[in-house]
Amino acid sequence: MRVVIAEDHALLREGIVALLREHDIEVVAQAEDGEGLVRIVGGHKPDLAIVDVRLPPTFTDEGIRAAIAARERRPGLGILILSQYVEPIYTAELLESGEGGIGYLLKERVGDVRGFLDAVRRVADGGTALDREVVAELVRSRDERAGDGTLDALSPREREVLALMAEGRTNAAIARAMVVTNGAVEKHVTSIFAKLDLPATDDDHRRVLAVLTFLRAGGEA
Amino acid sequence: METTAPGPSHATSALSMHVAIAAFGAILLALVWGVTGAGYFWPVWVWFAFAVTVALHATIRFALLRHGLERATVLVTRLAAIAGAIILVIWMLSGMHGFWPAWPLCGIAAVAGIFLIATNQDRLPGHRRLVERVGVLERTREGALSVQAAELRRIERDLHDGAQARLVALSMLLGRAEDRLADRPEAAELVRRARDEAGAAIAELRDLARGIAPPVLADRGLAAAVDALARRAAVPVTVDAQLGRRPIPVVETAAYFVVAEALTNVAKHAPGASARVQIAERGDRLVVEIADDGPGGADPAGSGLTGLRQRVEALDGRLEIASPPGLGTLVRAELPCVS
Repeated sequence: MRVVIAEDHALLREGIVALLREHDIEVVAQAEDGEGLVRIVGGHKPDLAIVDVRLPPTFTDEGIRAAIAARERRPGLGILILSQYVEPIYTAELLESGEGGIGYLLKERVGDVRGFLDAVRRVADGGTALDREVVAELVRSRDERAGDGTLDALSPREREVLALMAEGRTNAAIARAMVVTNGAVEKHVTSIFAKLDLPATDDDHRRVLAVLTFLRAGGEA
Repeated sequence: METTAPGPSHATSALSMHVAIAAFGAILLALVWGVTGAGYFWPVWVWFAFAVTVALHATIRFALLRHGLERATVLVTRLAAIAGAIILVIWMLSGMHGFWPAWPLCGIAAVAGIFLIATNQDRLPGHRRLVERVGVLERTREGALSVQAAELRRIERDLHDGAQARLVALSMLLGRAEDRLADRPEAAELVRRARDEAGAAIAELRDLARGIAPPVLADRGLAAAVDALARRAAVPVTVDAQLGRRPIPVVETAAYFVVAEALTNVAKHAPGASARVQIAERGDRLVVEIADDGPGGADPAGSGLTGLRQRVEALDGRLEIASPPGLGTLVRAELPCVS
């Protein structure tokens, strides 16, 4: 797996590089700002870009825009955003930016080494890894609101499963989190696919599509 | 041009003509007086009358060159002077018996004086000082608020780049340590707890920073931040935000918190309702309106609304709340938005 990093904080950047190298994930190039990211993505053909939201020179949402530009340069590039705050609007924008894995994690999740490595691998493989805070915010806004359309057909239990899928968890992990059997989770997942009318291609792809539906529904005002 | 609006030269030539006619009449009368026997010098009275008409003409003519209050002031002082002069001249021409003009002169002076004081209060030193002071206070208050807003944003940025970043780095180091302590579970558990503490500190700093101003407000401006609020709200919200340019940060932040507080109130007191947010520039004011179709009857003196009002009024803005029972609630804030 080839990874690039855009992070202006030397301390964090070097920490992430060291962490990934310890687990045999190769960081092929590093950038300190958005322009740098777009440049190294062109040359190094990475599978994944790990990007801080706030980058020089504006220190606002530079990272999101740079990530979208990077993906235009290299379609299918996985993007894992690291941020100090949850902003669903940015997740929604990344989803609009085309094919490829999407992750949005709060920075402190990097401290959970195993969880972080899981997220890195999943996003590089085209999956999703959304911070549970992002998902919680999406779920909260929808649950308290009546009649949101797309996801109304799902039962509360199925929505719970879908939310955990959005975080990027496997069926086994979802079963553990909900304290049910693997079989029960699989049944919910099949039912979700059916209700969301997702084409019967491979399961991983349907998983991503289901999560996208979930996120888009959360992105509607 | 001269036919529609007589210019100064036109008016001046009229005055010259007036003076010429008066002078010609005066000389003519003096001749008539000489021819008719030169007794009591009666033409002086007619001269006097001519002089009065010329003086009035000149006074009005020059007063019209001024504008507004100044015109009235000039007119009143000159007319009072002319009236005084007329009385004095009559007194002199009629033999100067006893100084009777004292009383009418006092009267004229009193009337003119009262008029001048009443209309020129703002030129009195006390009033002028007050106006200057209000100007200074307005400027300094605006300055203080801008400085405060800038300072808060700086603190927010410092938190992000300083303490938060260090805590994240710490959390990451602890995570790596935990990873290497896999064969010593009790030590790993201690490290994990330390990491949890670091995580809690990061979350607290994040809440603190968000309370100062949400990042999306600084990043994307008011319309995007209000959109995000609407999306996150517990009730359906439609947003209509039309902004040509970004207001100054302190106004932007106040407007944001007005919307945030109002939407929180809708969710709390009118859970079944829907809300509409409108933001528009009207002249040099930014108008923010949040309307819902809930049960109404909100208490404008409630702590949340009072806090909002103070925030808005500190910026020289206005906050109005209309909440008739059964007819929903409208919160309207007007903020100055000169950038």
